[in-house]
Amino acid sequence: MTTTLSSTSPADADHPTPFTGTPELGQPGQVDAHDVCAWFGGRLVLETVDLVMEKSKVTALIGPSGCGKSTFLRIINRMHEVVPGAQLAGSVKLDGVDIYGPGQRAMETRRHIGMVFQKPNPFPAMTIAENVLAGLKFSRVSPADKDDLIEESLTKGGLWNEVKDRLGELGGALSGGQQQRLCIARSLAVKPRVLLMDEPCSALDPTSTLRIEQTIKEIASEVTVVIVTHNMQQAQRVSDYCAFFLAEENQPGRVIEAGKTGTIFGSPTDQRTFDYVNGQFG
Amino acid sequence: MTPENTIRTAPHGILVETTSAPASTADGRQDPRPPEPTSPNTATPPTPTPRPRRLPSPIRPSAFGTQDAMILIMAAVSSLCLVWVVFYQLTSLSGGLGFLVCWYIGFVALTWIATAQVIERQVATDRAVAVVVVSAAMLIVAIVVFIVAWVAYKAIPSIHWGSLFTKDQKSFVVTDPNALDHVGVVHAVIGTLEQVLVAVLIGVPFAIATAVYLNEVKGWGVKTVRTVVTAMSGTPSVVAGIFIYSMLILTHVLTYSGFAASLALVVILLPSVTRVVEEVLRVVPSGLREASLALGAPEWRTVWSVVLPTARSGVVTAVLLGIARIVGETAPLLFTAFGSQVVNWRGYFNHDQGALPLVIFSDVRQAQPVLINLAFQAAFVLMSIVLVLFVLARIFSRPKGKNGKRMKPGPNDDDLMARLFVPIPIEQNEENR
Ligand SMILES: Nc1ncnc2c1ncn2[C@@H]1O[C@H](COP(=O)(O)OP(=O)(O)O)[C@@H](O)[C@H]1O
Ligand SMILES: [Mg+2]
Repeated sequence: MTTTLSSTSPADADHPTPFTGTPELGQPGQVDAHDVCAWFGGRLVLETVDLVMEKSKVTALIGPSGCGKSTFLRIINRMHEVVPGAQLAGSVKLDGVDIYGPGQRAMETRRHIGMVFQKPNPFPAMTIAENVLAGLKFSRVSPADKDDLIEESLTKGGLWNEVKDRLGELGGALSGGQQQRLCIARSLAVKPRVLLMDEPCSALDPTSTLRIEQTIKEIASEVTVVIVTHNMQQAQRVSDYCAFFLAEENQPGRVIEAGKTGTIFGSPTDQRTFDYVNGQFG
Repeated sequence: MTPENTIRTAPHGILVETTSAPASTADGRQDPRPPEPTSPNTATPPTPTPRPRRLPSPIRPSAFGTQDAMILIMAAVSSLCLVWVVFYQLTSLSGGLGFLVCWYIGFVALTWIATAQVIERQVATDRAVAVVVVSAAMLIVAIVVFIVAWVAYKAIPSIHWGSLFTKDQKSFVVTDPNALDHVGVVHAVIGTLEQVLVAVLIGVPFAIATAVYLNEVKGWGVKTVRTVVTAMSGTPSVVAGIFIYSMLILTHVLTYSGFAASLALVVILLPSVTRVVEEVLRVVPSGLREASLALGAPEWRTVWSVVLPTARSGVVTAVLLGIARIVGETAPLLFTAFGSQVVNWRGYFNHDQGALPLVIFSDVRQAQPVLINLAFQAAFVLMSIVLVLFVLARIFSRPKGKNGKRMKPGPNDDDLMARLFVPIPIEQNEENR
């Protein structure tokens, strides 16, 4: 079943209610991906991915480049459809509600499922404080106490102590690692239920990487985290669950194996997983 | 020859000294040098102050030395003598321009020959090309300076500051020897400001909206619109005037008026501002758009709150340059504003109106010296307006500093990113997926 993005996928009979404005905002959510496929301009790049991302847990997506990890991640918060010519099939449920169901709006979904990108991308024309509040401004929500929210979000992002005296400076004035933590704080400020992170540390130095890993562990109780990483040690350090993606030659990407991180790294059942996590990959 | 030539201006032995710094301190034949800057974290602790180490004096191996300057001067002088002999002694040629061109060709050729003799041929070609490029740039600067200076020279001595900005041309009497006391260009200044202001108010929102459409919307229409805009920017401005004239004035929808002039100016303003704004928006990193969308922002929000603010200085610059472009347009005003001798504040929509370009156009062809002077004064005022606009554009295109204040132009001033945007220190290429 291929769904072009302009038309919505069939109704999900079990959960017809849109999650707009549900009281669960701010509570960690569970994501169930079922039979997810993805195409770019008619080329199948991701085939029948079934994956459950448990509530309040950190799930790591690992695998070589080009196997569709980013694509999968972007399908979870409806960023895939931003790319011209991109199509998808299957269903993605957030706490049982199909985010591609009828009546679901992409903007609403993205507010519940935040995303941090590979390259730090704070808004350069906004100050640090404005960056943190950007998500709320965009959705026209005004928080009860802005200063509290700024402090809370930056603290969660592990940046508060470094920037508390310079909140009025432009976001671009920070170092790369600080910028990335600002982006995490910005995503957390809208109180998402799931936070997707696409190689958030691959442009950063080891110290910044450690700080971000620390942040991930701290926020996991409040938000489900899905992180793509090329760093095996990082996957082991931060994640509870792990999914190994692989695209064999001229084949679309698939999930080869998924399970508890300990199992994937300790005793994987598939030889390809074993090879990859032990660095013996082709 | 060998590559050593490129570092020949360095004092002998200094390259050795840079690698063995203590030796140079021992013999002490270097110039007095500034003390080594102490870094802030070594300044405070009670550690003994580091022994002031003498640094070797810095050199620039490829710097332009006395020898090179001498070659250029000698080439220039030799060429002058040579061409003089050929021109006036051997042949009986004449003419300043011909002399100048021959001198220049001789200068470049002699520079090449002399450098090839003294240094080597590779360097000689390099030098000769540098001479041509630099002199082309200098020629342009000279032309601009000359035009400005000429207009100022013609205008300033005759300006009566008391009347220029307070009087119009209605009380001009041909026989009055002090006519300049009674005439001015205030009617034209008012007309130009009204016409340009309304053109900008109408044109700029359309231009920005079109640029946003070209950049942020995907679909079949984009290519078509871009082609149309490009074609429109090639429209001769006189055609824009005819268009408004035949569409609106001949059909009696409008009379000759400032408003008709504004509409004609919009036709010229639209494509030029659209193209520049489009270029500016194109350079906004796509990661910012994605970040905004991923926060749940609608597309219009993304454009309004992220894309346009990021490119704000660039957009402002585009608008200012667009204004500078239309403020001196003459042809489209000829049959729209038509021109007038009197101040016309309120008749903007239904009366002939003056404009600075029209004053220049009509008065400079008159026989009375007073009117010719007035035309040059109008030209001077017009040039000053354009100059102010360009200065504003420069200031706005400067990157903003930490506190939101505009920084002094720095070494990266010519970097498009640095000039047109607030600083984005992390290099933002296209997302590589
Ligand atoms: N915008 C795009 N247009 C066309 N193909 C794309 C695009 N983005 C990704 N792809 C293709 O989709 C496949 C999966 O890419 P991606 O999900 O980015 O892989 P990963 O993140 O695992 O490295 C790759 O083969 C890539 O070439
Ligand atoms: Mg990727």
